[in-house]
Formats: sequence, structure tokens, C-alpha cells
Amino acid sequence: MWKARARYIFGRLLHGVPIVLAIVVANFFLIRLAPGDAAQVLAGEAGAATEQYMQQIRSQFGLDRPLAVQFFSYMKNILVFDLGYSFRHGRTVASLILDRLGATALLMFVSMALSLGMGILLGTIAARRNRSSAAALIMLVAIVSYATPLFWVGLMLIILFSINLGWFPTSGMSTVGLDATGLAYALDVAYHLVLPAITLSFFYMALYTRLMRASMLETLRLDFVRTARAKGISERKIVRRHVIRNAILPVFTMAGVQVSGMLGGSVIVESVFGWPGLGLLAFEALFARDLNLLLGIFFLSSILVVITNALVDLAYTMIDPRIELARGRSNA
Amino acid sequence: MRVVRGFRRLARLLGYAAIVAIVAPLSIANAQQRGGTLIITTTPEPAVITNAFSSAPVTNEVGTKIFDGLLEYDADLKPIPSLAESWTVSPDGKTVTFRLRKGVSWHDGKPFTSADVQFSLLKVVREYHPRGPGNLGAIVAIDTPDAHTAVVRLAHPYPPMMKGLSSLEVPILPKHVYDGTDFRNNPAMNAPIGTGPFKFSKWEKGSFIQLERNDKYWREGRPYLDRLIFRFIADASTRAAAIEKGEVHVATFGTINPVEMRRLEKLPHLEIAAGGYEALAPVMLIELNTIRAPLNDKRVRQAIAYAIDRKFILENIWYGFGKPAVGPISSVYSGAGLYTTEGVRRYDVKDRLDIANRLLDEAGYKRGADGIRFKMVHDVGPFGEDWRRMGEYIKQALARVGIDVAIRSNDSPTYMRQVFTDHDFFMASGWFIGMADPTLGVQRQYWSKNIKPGTPFNNTTRYSNPDVDRLWEAAQTELDPERRARIFHDIQRQIVDDSPVIWLIEMALVAVQNTKVQNLITTPLGIRGGLYETWLKP
Repeated sequence: MWKARARYIFGRLLHGVPIVLAIVVANFFLIRLAPGDAAQVLAGEAGAATEQYMQQIRSQFGLDRPLAVQFFSYMKNILVFDLGYSFRHGRTVASLILDRLGATALLMFVSMALSLGMGILLGTIAARRNRSSAAALIMLVAIVSYATPLFWVGLMLIILFSINLGWFPTSGMSTVGLDATGLAYALDVAYHLVLPAITLSFFYMALYTRLMRASMLETLRLDFVRTARAKGISERKIVRRHVIRNAILPVFTMAGVQVSGMLGGSVIVESVFGWPGLGLLAFEALFARDLNLLLGIFFLSSILVVITNALVDLAYTMIDPRIELARGRSNA
Repeated sequence: MRVVRGFRRLARLLGYAAIVAIVAPLSIANAQQRGGTLIITTTPEPAVITNAFSSAPVTNEVGTKIFDGLLEYDADLKPIPSLAESWTVSPDGKTVTFRLRKGVSWHDGKPFTSADVQFSLLKVVREYHPRGPGNLGAIVAIDTPDAHTAVVRLAHPYPPMMKGLSSLEVPILPKHVYDGTDFRNNPAMNAPIGTGPFKFSKWEKGSFIQLERNDKYWREGRPYLDRLIFRFIADASTRAAAIEKGEVHVATFGTINPVEMRRLEKLPHLEIAAGGYEALAPVMLIELNTIRAPLNDKRVRQAIAYAIDRKFILENIWYGFGKPAVGPISSVYSGAGLYTTEGVRRYDVKDRLDIANRLLDEAGYKRGADGIRFKMVHDVGPFGEDWRRMGEYIKQALARVGIDVAIRSNDSPTYMRQVFTDHDFFMASGWFIGMADPTLGVQRQYWSKNIKPGTPFNNTTRYSNPDVDRLWEAAQTELDPERRARIFHDIQRQIVDDSPVIWLIEMALVAVQNTKVQNLITTPLGIRGGLYETWLKP
């Protein structure tokens, strides 16, 4: 079985290669549609410029080469995973991304765990106690969370918990100037992680709650559940051992989508909380016309999406034995 | 008897104790205290921190702590010694001899010498700094007869040079680190070595830059602070929250919306200190494209100037941070006598709207049936939402005189491309710094030799008046301060009359600070100084 799964994954990844390449090529030309270049941005920030200055920057950044040359040179590098150099930051794109990848991953995984956990729990409760006031309350909270803009939630949390109550810091990933290591550092980061993770989890939690509830209500109506009840199995056991596993598939798909959006999706939260992640890096790269950096992030993002999709499809077959693993083609 | 004597002794003791109790805390409160970490929030995160290569505001904020310049400036913008202990200017104004301070060392321990001065001025700043050619272009050579003397020889007298030698404009870099290397790829670019009060410690990209006290700084007992941290927080509201909570001690101008600044100022632990920007002479203005109809007609430009109420903009959009501008030469230059309002056309007179309407009629742009004379586009400066709000006001103000303005709001690189490269605009709002002398920062906008298509922040309006050109050129070499002042008065009168630019506000780039921070603003450079006098109350 595992051999089949390994072959499946390999096949899917192979299919992913032309997709990723196409994305890189398309992005390369698309982002150049935005007017202005990195030299103009730097001159704009400098508040003063001479022709000499602009020319120096352009030739250093390689902006004065013809477009075709820039394109082929970039593609040549990408094929060996050389993401290029960000002249604005004076570092390789790979090092910039790696620096921020940890922060993004941490925020994403914690908020995903929170939103999945809470979402599944609340959705289950709402389904089990359907038509009760508890369920109505849960659904109300879900709708409000879904509709409220993230930056507003973030700012309100800062005002309440940070300024008024003083429980958590307003922003940043760690206390500036603390120089802590090991456990002290981990605790400091955890302390900073609370508010951003909660904010980011609101939207998806609402999504999972509604999905889970709908899915469970549907599953609870199915014949096998009626059979299990007839056999005398307690309701709680039924829900726990049979219903949840079946109802969770749509939530799973959604979770896969959330992971795919991981690299770019948290710009707002990172911006509000000053969390040094990839979303903010990409956002700033766009406004600075730092095209190498932007393309590098898109490239990594598309690889992540391909891998995640393959893994989600694989996980489907593991959760639900009725779904078959078809080599090379997704069946779910 | 014994009781009375004892009583008197007790009273005397109590008296002494009372005096000590009152005086002691007062004296302690006024004495500077060593130690502490000052946290400043500023935006955006700089691309480079060695400010010899960039004049970006945040680059300057960081670089001026790590590097020193030859000179610093007092409240009247007159030069005071820094790395140069004293200097003499020859009678013909073509030679300036600097006697350099002895016993100064770089952060890596090597000694500072005149070779570093020669290298920094000629090989670095003049070649790579955007204002380098303007500040130092007149230099022919720098002789270094000994390790502590630098003789600067000029092609012609150039008095403004002496106003542009602070660490903001011409930081002194170590020759032994940069000479013979590819400057822009030298690792010292983002881990700089200077002679300044603070040493570079670390830069966590996306988060903060940390500077440590230079224990061997040449100013005895300075700096007071142990550490200086620049924190980068992307969102304006979060920055406001951070300073309100006390996580950050100083928020530089532009990091917090003006309305928030006014709210924060009222809190007991926060205040806004006055000053700290006069050496930059920042002016908020609107550039008009003088070669595009209808703005090629002086009367139309003047009419627009009359139609706009600067006081309204200052009070309602910028919440009072600044004062209305009169012309290209701002009032901060009055210390040097270069500013005047005598004989200068005033656009804020009571009947300004009538005058505006009359001028537009005279120029031949009568109102149509819908009340509109002509249409224009206003490119809003990409500096934030307050600029967009100002654009909306300007649209309404010009509608009153029959001009229909469409607002175009783009991000920074698009704006730069549109206005400076393509020169496809009617009016574009922005802000310019004049620096400590008008020749250094104001001339570039109004001199026809500075019309440089494609290069931003020069003569974008394409203004070209031969009389004014002659005046600018005379001011470059005029040694007599009285005559030079009169030249600038003439310039002010002429340019305000020609109105190639609408001068809106002399900006007050003040910072919000925690009341614990003492002596943050001590010079007209403000936060862009060394901050070696700054200390933190515990």
C-alpha cells in the first residue's frame, strides 16, 4: 500500500513541475506590468536623485539589460533553485525567505491548529444540539467572525488585551533587546504569538464551524447511523467513532486550501502585529518593485500548493477507505 | 533650659532635613543618568543604513548615530565643531582649512585621520550620494599635509558647502574599510563602522536595528544611553498602540496619523517636543507642470495659488503641525537672514477667490455653462491617506473657481514614473527638504540647469527664468552674507510671483515621545543628530 502511495505522490509532484514553471514564467512578465522600477523606488525614498545615482542603481540591479536576457538568466537560475539576489536588501532571496519562513510557519500552524480544533469542536456541538440556543449562539459567533475584517479584530484585540489590560505585547515576535535564548526565548515568542494567532484563526474557525456543522447534520441522517442507534450504541460513541470521521472530509479540503494560502495569506495580521513573516515581505517587495524577491516568494508558494494538494488527496484515501488511489489522476 | 536647647537642636535638624528632602530630588531629577535602552519606531525599514550612499529619511535616522560629520549646527544653523575642531576660510573663499580632532578612533579601534576625510568627501559622498554633487561639486582637491589637517580647495567660492557638512549630509567613512573594494557590496554597508556615539550591533530584518553605546566616543561621558533600538512596525495604528503602551519611547513624524498624534499628546505619559527639523527646512508643496497648458500661463498658476486656503489645510488635515508656507525660502532660514516676506506676493489675502476668478477670466478660460473652466488631474503624493484627504480638499477648493480636478492616487513607484520619468502630469503634491542653506536643497527645483528628465526631485516643473537662474548662480559664490541674503530675498519675490509651485506648509516634523525621554531634540537636526545628549528617566 505504501509503495502505491509513494508512487502516487511522485506522480503528482512530477505533474506539478510544468505547472510551477508556467506560473514562474507568467509571473515574471505579469509583475513587470506594474509601472516603475526598483531604482525609482530607491530614488523616491531618498528624496533626492542624480542621473548618475539612478544609472548606478540600474546597472547594479541588472535592470538595464534587455528583457529577454533578464528572462533567460532568471529561468536558468530557477531551474537549479537559485532564487537570485535582492539588491535592495543586499542579500540572496533564499536567505531572506528562510529568515522569515520560520515566523510565518509558526503563526500559520498555531492558528491552523486553533481554528481547526475550535472549528471542529464548535461545529460538532452545534450539530448535536441543533435548534438549541447553544447552537444559535455558536452560529452567530461564526457569522460575525466570518464577516468582521481581520485588521479590525486585530486592532480591537490590541486595544483590549494589550493597552487596557496589559496582558500581551502590542506587536513583534519577541521582546526587543531581551537577548533571551532557549526556553526563555520560546516563552517570549509564545507570549507574542497569542494575539496574532487568535486573530488569524477567527476567519477560518468560522469557516470550519459552519462546514463541520453542515457536514455532520448530513452524516447524522445517513442509514448507517440509524443502524448503529438501532444496535444500541450510545449517541456519544456514535458521534465520536463514526460520524466525525465521515463529516470531516470537507473540513479537510478547506484546511488544505488554508495551508496552500499560507505563504501569502497573512499579510494583514503580519502588518497589524508587526509579525516578521513572508506575507509582509511579499507585500513590501511589491511596493519596492523588488522583483527577484517577489518572484522567489511566488515560486515557493506555488511549490507549496502543489505539494499540499498532493498530500491532501493522499490523506483523503487514508481517512476514507472508499476513496481509491488512482495513479497520476486524482479521484477524490 | 536643657529642654529648650534640645528643642532648638531638633528644630535645626528638622530644618536641615527639610532642605535636603526638597533639594535632593530636584538635583537628582535634573542630572543626566547613564544607562537605558531607547526604542524608536520609524518607517519604512531602510534598504541600507550607511547614509553616505542614500538620503532616505530612515537611513539618515540610523546612520547619523553611527557616523560623525565634520561639523554640526546650532539653533541658528551656524556651524559648530564636530570631527573638525576648528576651521578657517581664506579671504577669496576658495580654500577651507579644517583642523581635525585628535584622539578619535573608529569603532574597530583604528585611528581617524585626514585621509578618511579626503576619501569620504571625494571618493564616496560626491560620487554616490544623491546630494553629493550639489554639496561638494565645487571641490577641486583635498590636501592632507598631516594626519589632522584637511585643506579643501574649491574651484570657486561656495559658501553653502559649510552648511552641508553634518553627519546627515556628509558622514565620514573609514578609508581602511572601503578603499579598494566594491562599495555597494562591501559588508560594512549594512554593518557599518563609524566614529559616532553608537556602534552597530545587529539588524533583524523586518523587526529592528540595534545600536550599542560606543564606550570610546570622543565626547567625554557621552552618550548617556546604553542602547538604541529602531523598531519597524508596519501598521500605523499598531505603532500608536505601541507608544501608548510604552513599548516604544519615540515615534518619528509620519509614523502616526496627525489626529492620533493629537490624541496621544494629551495622555500624561506622552508629549510632543518642539523643533528638531529646522535644518531640513521641509516644505509641503504642489508642483505644477509649467510646460503643459493651461499651466503654462502664469495667471492660471497664480489663480490656483489664490484658490487654496493653506490655513485650512494646516488645521484640518495636518492638525496644526507646521505653519503656512509663503514661498520657496522658508522661515527657518530667518536665523541666517535669508527669509523675507517684504514685497512677496501673498496668496492668502481676503479677496483671494475674487482675484483667482479674475485672473482665470483674463487668461481666457471663461466658465462654461456648467461653471467649469477646464479640467485637470491631481497626482497625489504616495505618502499616506492624509495626502489623499488633502487632494480631496484641493479638488473642492479649485471647484470654487471653476477648475474640475480629478484625483489620481498611485503607489510610490507608479507616481515616480508618472511624474518624473514620463512627465505626464498637471499638478503633483509632494514634499521637499531645503536643507540648511537654500542653495543645497531649494535651488534644485527652480534652476533651469537642473532640468533632468527622468531623474526625480529636481526641476520637475521645468521652470526656467533666466533672471532667477542668474540670481541662483550669484548666490552660489557670493561671500558677503548681507549681499547673499539680498539675493535670496529677490529670488523669493520672483519665484513666488511666477508661481511654478504652490507652497502649502512649512512642515513641523515633530516626534511623539514618552515623558521619560530627556534631551531628545537638542539641535535643529533633531532625531537626525547623534542623540548623545539624550537620556532616559527611570
